[in-house]
Amino acid sequence: MRLSFYPGCSLEGMANDYARSIDAVFRNLGIDLVEIEDWSCCGATAAHSLSQTMSVLLPARNLAAAEKLGHDIVSPCANCFNRLRFSQNMIKKKVFDIPWPVTGDIRVHDMTRFLAEPARIKSIKERILRPLNGLRVVCYYGCQMVRPPKITGYTDYENPQTMDRIAATAGAQVIDWSYKATCCGASVGIARKEIGESLTRRILQKAQQAGAEAIVVSCPLCQSNLDMIQKDRSKRHTPVFYFTELLRLSFAEHVDPKWFKMHFTDPVPLLRAKGLLS
Amino acid sequence: MGSYLSNPVGKVIVVGGGIGGIQCALDLADTGFYVYLIEKSHTLGGTMARLDKTFPTNDCSTCMFSPKLVQVAGHANIEILPLSRILELNGGPGRFTARVEKQPRYIDEEKCITCGKCAEKCPKKIPDPFNGELGTRKAAFLTFPQAVPLKYALDAENCLYLTKGKCGVCEKICPAEAVEFDQKPEILQIDAGAVIISTGFELALTAQEGEFGYGRYRNVVTSLQYERMLSATGPYGGHLRRPSDEEVPRKVAWIQCVMSRDPARNRPFCSSVCCMHAAKQAVLTRSHEPDTETTIYFMDIRAHGKGFDDYIDRARFQHGVKYRRSMISQVYLNPENENLIIETFDHHLNRKKEEEYDLIVLSSGFKPSGDFIDLAKQLGLVVNSYGFLATEFDEPVATSRPGVFVCGGIEAPKDIPETVIQAGAAAAEASILLSAARNTEIVFDEIPDEKPIETTPRVGVLVCHCGTNIAGVVDIQKVLDYVKTLPHVIFATDFMFTCSTETQQTIVKLIKEQRLNRVVVAACSPRTHEPLFQDTLREAGLNPYLFELASIRDQCSWVHGNDPEKATEKSKELIRASVSRAVQLEPLYESSYRVVNKGLVIGGGVAGMTAALTIADQGFHVHLVEKSDQLGGFARNLKFTLEGNSPASLIRYLSERVTHHPKISVYLKSRLISHAGHLGAFNGTVEKQGESIKIQYGAVIAATGGQPYKPTEYLYAQDERILTQVEFAKRLMEDPSWTGRLKRIVMIQCVGSREPDFPYCSRVCCSAAVKNSIKLKEMNPGAQIVVLYRDVRTFGFKELYYLKTRQKGVLFFRYIPEDKPEVYDENGKLIVDFTDRSSHQNFRVEPDLVVLSSGIRPDDGAKQIARLLKLPTTDEGFFLEAHVKLKPVEFATSGVFLAGLAHSPRFIEETVTMAKSAGQQAMAPFINEEGVSQIPPSACMGCGICASECPAKAISLKHCTDDQVFAKIDALLE
Amino acid sequence: MQNIISDPDQARKHDSGKERKLIGDRGDYFLNRMEGETGANISACYQCERCTNSCPVSHFMDIKPHQVIHYVQLGWREELLKSSTIWICLSCEMCTTYCPNEVDVAEIINHLRNMAAHSSITPKEKSLAVFHQTFLEVLQKSGRVNEFRLMNAYYLKPDILHERIKNKALKEDLLLGITMLRKGRLKLFTPKSRAIKEIKRVYSQTRGEIV
Repeated sequence: MRLSFYPGCSLEGMANDYARSIDAVFRNLGIDLVEIEDWSCCGATAAHSLSQTMSVLLPARNLAAAEKLGHDIVSPCANCFNRLRFSQNMIKKKVFDIPWPVTGDIRVHDMTRFLAEPARIKSIKERILRPLNGLRVVCYYGCQMVRPPKITGYTDYENPQTMDRIAATAGAQVIDWSYKATCCGASVGIARKEIGESLTRRILQKAQQAGAEAIVVSCPLCQSNLDMIQKDRSKRHTPVFYFTELLRLSFAEHVDPKWFKMHFTDPVPLLRAKGLLS
Repeated sequence: MGSYLSNPVGKVIVVGGGIGGIQCALDLADTGFYVYLIEKSHTLGGTMARLDKTFPTNDCSTCMFSPKLVQVAGHANIEILPLSRILELNGGPGRFTARVEKQPRYIDEEKCITCGKCAEKCPKKIPDPFNGELGTRKAAFLTFPQAVPLKYALDAENCLYLTKGKCGVCEKICPAEAVEFDQKPEILQIDAGAVIISTGFELALTAQEGEFGYGRYRNVVTSLQYERMLSATGPYGGHLRRPSDEEVPRKVAWIQCVMSRDPARNRPFCSSVCCMHAAKQAVLTRSHEPDTETTIYFMDIRAHGKGFDDYIDRARFQHGVKYRRSMISQVYLNPENENLIIETFDHHLNRKKEEEYDLIVLSSGFKPSGDFIDLAKQLGLVVNSYGFLATEFDEPVATSRPGVFVCGGIEAPKDIPETVIQAGAAAAEASILLSAARNTEIVFDEIPDEKPIETTPRVGVLVCHCGTNIAGVVDIQKVLDYVKTLPHVIFATDFMFTCSTETQQTIVKLIKEQRLNRVVVAACSPRTHEPLFQDTLREAGLNPYLFELASIRDQCSWVHGNDPEKATEKSKELIRASVSRAVQLEPLYESSYRVVNKGLVIGGGVAGMTAALTIADQGFHVHLVEKSDQLGGFARNLKFTLEGNSPASLIRYLSERVTHHPKISVYLKSRLISHAGHLGAFNGTVEKQGESIKIQYGAVIAATGGQPYKPTEYLYAQDERILTQVEFAKRLMEDPSWTGRLKRIVMIQCVGSREPDFPYCSRVCCSAAVKNSIKLKEMNPGAQIVVLYRDVRTFGFKELYYLKTRQKGVLFFRYIPEDKPEVYDENGKLIVDFTDRSSHQNFRVEPDLVVLSSGIRPDDGAKQIARLLKLPTTDEGFFLEAHVKLKPVEFATSGVFLAGLAHSPRFIEETVTMAKSAGQQAMAPFINEEGVSQIPPSACMGCGICASECPAKAISLKHCTDDQVFAKIDALLE
Repeated sequence: MQNIISDPDQARKHDSGKERKLIGDRGDYFLNRMEGETGANISACYQCERCTNSCPVSHFMDIKPHQVIHYVQLGWREELLKSSTIWICLSCEMCTTYCPNEVDVAEIINHLRNMAAHSSITPKEKSLAVFHQTFLEVLQKSGRVNEFRLMNAYYLKPDILHERIKNKALKEDLLLGITMLRKGRLKLFTPKSRAIKEIKRVYSQTRGEIV
């Protein structure tokens, strides 16, 4: 199986560990990820905020490149996924003059939903060597992957299940909680720290209240917000994993603690305590 | 089609066994038709059977409903077909043939003795659907204790034998050998002249929607589940508990408009009943648990019915129910205690507020039941976009198929009284259609002969728990122990609900076994339940007047709820008094007399004319008395309706028919000036332009109508730029060039309504504003319209027009009564200043015109009629019906009925419905084949004046003799 | 009984001394323009406040989301473009998702932000406006956005730098940056996209949309 892969800018920088875990997991599953050739930034919130044209055109360039290959696109980043889908929607309305040949018809998946399909869950299950028994997690989806439902296609936007299903397949004890899709503040913290921190801290607190030992995410910005807010806290540490990191862990015969060195909140002690890392 | 009608079948099929279907069946069966009552589930009852109490009286729903269920269950001319559905309907009006499929019950109805052994031994427990899946029942079950038919059944989907071929315990244990695992569906062919659809509604919210965590969090329940949670027969035995831990919830919140007023979920209409439903539940919660806080989250309170606003006020100020005007997006869970968190934005503190509740009740809207769409298809009925059988304004019970009528919740979401009214109207239509076949298919009830009674009194006392209404306060066992010591008491026992069908059979048995010759029931109130028990006595061969009801609920447990000990004592005393009186009772016999088969209708408006036609079209004469010089009444003021219909053409049609109808005598410029007699034999005098005309009639319908309120506020009548909605609509139509010149207008709602002197809502004004706004925007799209409102009350499908109005760019701002808009003239410029309570801004508008939504008042003439006919009125001067829920078109005085604006403000279509219903009920006593009734004769009203004045004590008032009264008083004073 | 179904608290606390705004003709023009440009059915709003209740940052906004809709209906363009709301909004789409009338509140706010960016009005939340601007500048230079370069460029913007120094936040920023570099979270160099030229052309196509 072959898919067009749109990594997005963060996976080359801040979320490089996410990229590596994705690579390992998809290799193991035997799914070929073909990076979209010479992809460019989706424009993120900035283009959306300042120019509607740019918010349509920037993703359109990548869609056009992917359409040439013909495979479905899979996007690991919630924001990229949202922008690609948004752009597709606008392309179909045909009100924008787009300099690349693009129809908007290609399917764009968010990576969690792609992997949570029954067939994939089955093949994940077959590859589990190290079930994450006893690891109590909550899955955190954030906004952009699930909302607005008309763009993302999530009908269960209040209580999405994709990561829950994947984490449960990997053997983790997944706890239901109410704040799965509550906004973490995204990039607002860079310019208005107190706003970002108040939102992120609340999610962390709610996750801990729900009894989570770790938080599972799929979005680089969510990960970095939830992880970095714990940087100078001597209190309870709740590591924040990309869902593919957990899959990689459960697939691997040998685990290297270095996989997690980019985390601010070191997950190694937790994994050791659970007997998942020697 | 015509040929069918010349020789119609005198039978009617009623589909749906809720309150609408039951009322309709009774109305028809009492007017000479044989009725098949088809119900898809195991029992009659519908939604109303699941309710705990009903507002505004907080009467126990079961207690109100039971007499109806008993009546329908025992009616010789009603055949109940449970577990049935129509597969096919052929033919046309007058002669339909229906193919009906009846699902097996797996327990023989004839053989089952309702001992309950099957349910007791059945090993299979499932979540109880009747209780909203809270609590459990067995696979062998009785839906609820008052079920009709009162027979057990096996649940085919869960019974171990029927699903897996194992078990069979019930069959072995059944003493009546009633269990029949091999029952198969039956197909029946039924002939009928008309069909009435009353399939009701169900909650629109399901766990699939996942709204507000329903189905995800255990302490989020629907309003219907909450009814069961409050109910004495519910999963928690009438004690307020929450599902997760069965603890008493200390903070309960209601969220309104769930799956209502929600175009995003394709449910853009209002479900009409939820605002009052929530208020009632909050009030009941406060009285169950005075320490429990109750908060209702809402956007507009829709208290558009009679006495509704008053009830909301009482909820707020007397019962301390909190109202928060704020809509919720999402409910969060506190994982530590399964409490629920609601987030709102606090405007004063400018911060987000998290509030934690122990329990959240979702006031879900309603939808037609899932299988209704199939029925509609099979019957070839056209439904509206939301699956309802919505009707037209001049034919409020007609469907797209002639001869098939509709009533109740399937027509549009509606409350109990509106359902009962519409059921009466549907019955009227069927009755008119099949008039020629009346009394051709009915069978006569056999009443057993009265047996001679023993001379020594043998009194039986039956003490009712009334769920928890009495038993929750009064110590029943103590009362029973005491009662057994009273002289002449042969027997005493207690019942959970003495009024249930099952209990009536037990009472008959008891009377026979114990040779009772006096029966005392200690229960609710003779006002509502005496006739029921009298029928039971009759069935047992005992004279019905050897009965006495001790009111230990209305006069004891309800008033002394906080002092159980004294209430128990008082109950003993009340029963003692009743027993003493019972000992003195003598049999009474009713004699027959000839009924005057004529009706009198007071008022020649839409209500009066419709009621008159309903009676006259069935062959009976009607006197129609109108005080003005023309027919039409209030509706003559109206130019067009919200839905685009013309009241004028309706009036034209009605007055044409009324004027030329051979059975209707119209008296214009006339008044009724004297009235005497009793049901079936009234006589009165009509004064027509100075001339006195004596008339006779068997029933009266008071349809005295209403009048527009003439505002004294907002410069009305001082400045010609201030109009009422009625005047505005008239001008819109009559003067298009003026309409075209309007640039900016302001509408002010609730003028003369919801004020201290006239605290009721006039129901129609919000729709009037919406209607006139749409009209103006259509005629002059450039006109700017600003509507200043308190709550927008476009209930039901009228909400769609509110949406349309907004979409046309009409601006709505909310004001509060403490800070009303100010209208004034500044150098010739008209100015309106107001504060918007949503954006917290002060605004000024300089309109060309201010339109006042002035309310509706009862007509002045109502006072005279109320005096003459001795009819009760509300403080505001509207007539007061016999019972707000179940007898909305009757007065407590037999033979007198009401309809239209004289009852309360209402829309034309509602008035038409009500008038048909009143007409049908009024003519019921005319129907008896020989025109003979069994009603006590003479003009005596039982006032007792003659008896007390007679120096020789030669006159006595039977059933109220000195001996009987003194016995009661002496016993009380013992 | 008073028959008042209003919130007594609101009655008490409202400051009636505030200036009175005139409802003029402007409303329809601006409303129609906004409805046309966003396709959002703004006039369907019935002010239930579900948007404001669901918004995670409504307390940081000067005009609350439900008021934004009312202001658009009234044609109050300038108040809206001058508001903090349009910059504080996170585009989390809660308001849009939960609106019963399908009013796309988030898109309306976003559109107002677009309008503000092209107007001469000074943004009320300068730091946020500058951040978005910087992001696009970096994007324009390399076709992709390197976080290290983005942060550098942003913190070096005169306004931002000045504010950071004033708030004594600079040291903290630097320390964080170093930690991130050490953890490998910031990469000094990442591949560029060959798209730069095309993107620049796209920029020019927006005809000065970006100020």
